[in-house]
Amino acid sequence: MDLSDLIEVQAIMPALKANSKKQLLQLLAERAASITGLPEREVFDTILQRERLGSTGVGNGIAIPHGKLAGVKRITGVFARLESPVEFEALDDQPVDLVFLLLAPEGAGADHLKALSRIARVLRDGDTVAKVRGTRDATAIHALLSDTQASHAA
Amino acid sequence: MDHVIYLATLVGTALVLAAAFSSLIAFRFGAPLLLLFLGIGLASGVDGLGLRFDNAPVAYFAGSLALAVILFDSGFGTPVNVLRQAALPAVTLATVGVTVTMAIFGVATHYLTNFTWLESFLLGAAVASTDAAAVFFLLRAGNIHLRDRVRSTLEIESGTNDPIAIFLTITLVEVIAMGVDPEAKVLVTDLIVGFFLTMGLGAAVGILGGFGIVRLVERLNLDHGLLPIFVLTLSLLVFAGAGALGGSGFLAVYLAGLVAGNSQIRAASVLKRFQDGMSWLAQIIMFLVLGLFATPSQFPAILGVSVVLGLFLIFIARPFAVWLCLKPFRFPKTETAFISWVGLRGAVSILLAITPLLSGLEHGRDIFNSAFIIVLVSLVVQGWTVGPLARRLGLIVPPRPGPIEKVELELPGSAHHELLSYRVVPGSPVLRGERLPRWARPSLVVREGRSMKFPDFGRLVAGDRVYIFVSDRYPALLDRLFASRVDVDPEDADFFGAFAVDPERPASELEAAYGPGLAEAEMNMTIGELMLSRLGGRAEYADRLTLGPIELIVRDIDEKGKIIGVGLSFEPTPPQPVIPENLRERAGALFDRILRRPVKEKAGEEA
Repeated sequence: MDLSDLIEVQAIMPALKANSKKQLLQLLAERAASITGLPEREVFDTILQRERLGSTGVGNGIAIPHGKLAGVKRITGVFARLESPVEFEALDDQPVDLVFLLLAPEGAGADHLKALSRIARVLRDGDTVAKVRGTRDATAIHALLSDTQASHAA
Repeated sequence: MDHVIYLATLVGTALVLAAAFSSLIAFRFGAPLLLLFLGIGLASGVDGLGLRFDNAPVAYFAGSLALAVILFDSGFGTPVNVLRQAALPAVTLATVGVTVTMAIFGVATHYLTNFTWLESFLLGAAVASTDAAAVFFLLRAGNIHLRDRVRSTLEIESGTNDPIAIFLTITLVEVIAMGVDPEAKVLVTDLIVGFFLTMGLGAAVGILGGFGIVRLVERLNLDHGLLPIFVLTLSLLVFAGAGALGGSGFLAVYLAGLVAGNSQIRAASVLKRFQDGMSWLAQIIMFLVLGLFATPSQFPAILGVSVVLGLFLIFIARPFAVWLCLKPFRFPKTETAFISWVGLRGAVSILLAITPLLSGLEHGRDIFNSAFIIVLVSLVVQGWTVGPLARRLGLIVPPRPGPIEKVELELPGSAHHELLSYRVVPGSPVLRGERLPRWARPSLVVREGRSMKFPDFGRLVAGDRVYIFVSDRYPALLDRLFASRVDVDPEDADFFGAFAVDPERPASELEAAYGPGLAEAEMNMTIGELMLSRLGGRAEYADRLTLGPIELIVRDIDEKGKIIGVGLSFEPTPPQPVIPENLRERAGALFDRILRRPVKEKAGEEA
C-alpha cells in the first residue's frame, strides 16, 4: 500500500498555524470535512473520541490521529506540517509538528489498521521526516510521503 | 604406583583445562560450548589421541552424579516467581511433551532402522529431554534478553524433563532386557503406575529433603568454607536416598534444590557461587566422559539414518509436541516456534543411551551411537541458530534499565538486604528533580573517584555512581529513579507498538475504535483489566496480547503488578512457523482424527 493512495495534494497543509491540540484537531477536521463532504463536527468528535483512549502522538514530534466514520467512502488522509509545534500529550512528552489524520469507513477493518501502521512506519524514517520539516511546498511533501523507501519496505 | 597417579591427574587436568579454555572461544564465537566439550572428549578418545575408555558402568555412574549436581543447582537457582509463572506449561512440556516426542520419534525410528518397536521407543525416550545448559549459555553469550515467560518455561522444562526421560528410558530398558514381548496394554498400565509411584516417591523425598537441608544449615553453625560442601553432599544424599527407595532420584534432587533455594537459606550467595562452579565442573566432566566413551569410528555405519532422525526430531517431533502442549496456554506463535527450536539435546540423552549397553541389549551400541549423533546434529543445527532465530522472531526484549552491579550481602539477623550500585544516567528522574525517598538515599556516592557520604554529596549529577543499601523489596523502584527510561526509538516502537492507549479507559472504546471482537463481559472492563484477565491474572513487562487485528503490549507495570502503560500495535507479530504451514495443517488434522473429532473438509476438496 502506497501512502499516495491515502492522501491527495489538496489534503496537505504545509504551513499550518495552531495554538493547541484542540485547535489543531479542529483545523484537520475542517480540511477533512471539505474533502469528504462530511460535517466537520462529526469528524472532530470521532478523532477526539480516539484521543481519549490515549494520545496518538507517537513521539519525535509526530501524531497520527485517526478514527472510523460511517459516512467516509474511502480511507482518507489529511496531513499538516505546523509552523510551530503544539503540546499533544505525546508518548515522549514532546510537542508535535507533523500530523497525519486518517479517516476510514466503518467497514474498512484491516485496511484501516494496515494504513495506520504504514503511516507510522513512513514517519519513523528520520530522513523523510527531516525533509518534510524542511519544506513548505505541499507537492514536495506529498512526493516525500509517497515516495519513501520505507513505504515500500515490509 | 606414583606414576599412575601423576599420569592420570595430568591427563584429567589437561582435559578439564582444555574444556575451560574452550569456553572463552565459545563466548567469542557463540559456538555451542557443550559441543566443544564433547569434541574435546571425542578428540582425546580412542579414535583421536588414543585414550582408551570403554567402561560403560563408570561412564554412567560419573554422568549420573554430575547430572544430580547440575539438577540441584538448577533447582536452587530457580526463584519461586519464575516457577509460578511457567510451572504449568513447563511441566506439561516435561511430561506430555516428552512422551509425545518419544512416541512420534519412536515410530519414525522403527520405520527407518532395523530396531524393534521397543528399541525404537527406547531411543526416542533417550533423546526426548532437552538440555538447558546449552541454551542458556548461548543466550547469555549472545546477550539475548528473552521475555520472562519464555525464559522461565524453557528453564523449568529442561530441569523437570530429565527425570521423566530417565524414567521412560530405564523402564523400557528393563522391559527389553526381560526379553518378553509384553502386551501393549500391560506395558502402558505398568508404565503409568510405575510413573506415578516413581515420581511421587521422588517428589516426596525431594521436598522433605529440601526442607531437611534448610533446617540443618540453620541449626548447625558450620564454617562458611565447609557449608557448600555440606549442602552438596546432602543433596547427593537426597538423590541416592530417593533412588534407593525406588523413587526418581533426579526429580528428588531437583526439587530439593528448588525448596532449598527458595527458603531464604543462610549464606545463599556463597552456596550459589559454589554450586555454579560445581555445575560447570559437572558439565565438563559429563561431556568429556561421554565424549571419551564414544567410538567415532563406529559412527559411519549408522550416520546417515541418525542424521535423518536428528533432523526429524528437530523439525517434526519436537515442534509438534511443543505445539500440542502449549496450545492450551495461548502462547503466541512466535514463542511456540522458539520454544520448539530451543529443544537442544545434550549430555542427558547420551547418558541415557548408555543404559541399553549396561543391560547388554543386542542393539545397545547402535542405540548409543545413534543417540550420540542425534545430539551432535541438534547441538550443531539448533545451537548455532538460537540467537539469530530469537532476533528474527522478535522475542528479544530491549534490556531494561537496571543496576549495573548488585552485591548481595549476608547479614547476621536481618537476612535480606542488598547493596545495589547504579550509575546515574542523564535524564533520569533523580536528575530531573524527583525527590529521593528515604529508603533510596545512597549510602555512598562515588563522584570523579572520590567517595562521599550522605548528605555531603549534595545534588546528584549524571555519571555519579551511587551505592544503595536496600531491602530486597525496592530494587524495581530504584531502577526507575536512577536509570533512564528506555528511549522511544524505532526499534522500541516495533517492540512496544507505535501508539499508546490508556489502561484506565473502558475496553468498549477500544472495541469501538478498532473492533478487536471482545466478549460481552469484557466490554465492561477497563483496558487494563481486560489485559489482566486475558493474560491469566498476571501481567508482566513486555507481555503481548493479540486481540483480532490489533496487539496490546504492556509497556509498564507498577510495583503492585497493575498495568500502567499500554502500547498498541497494528502489526501483530507475523507468525513465522518452524513447521511449514501445510505440514502443520496435516499434523493438526491427524491430531483431530486421533481425538475422533470431525475434521473440517475444505471447500476445495469437495469440489
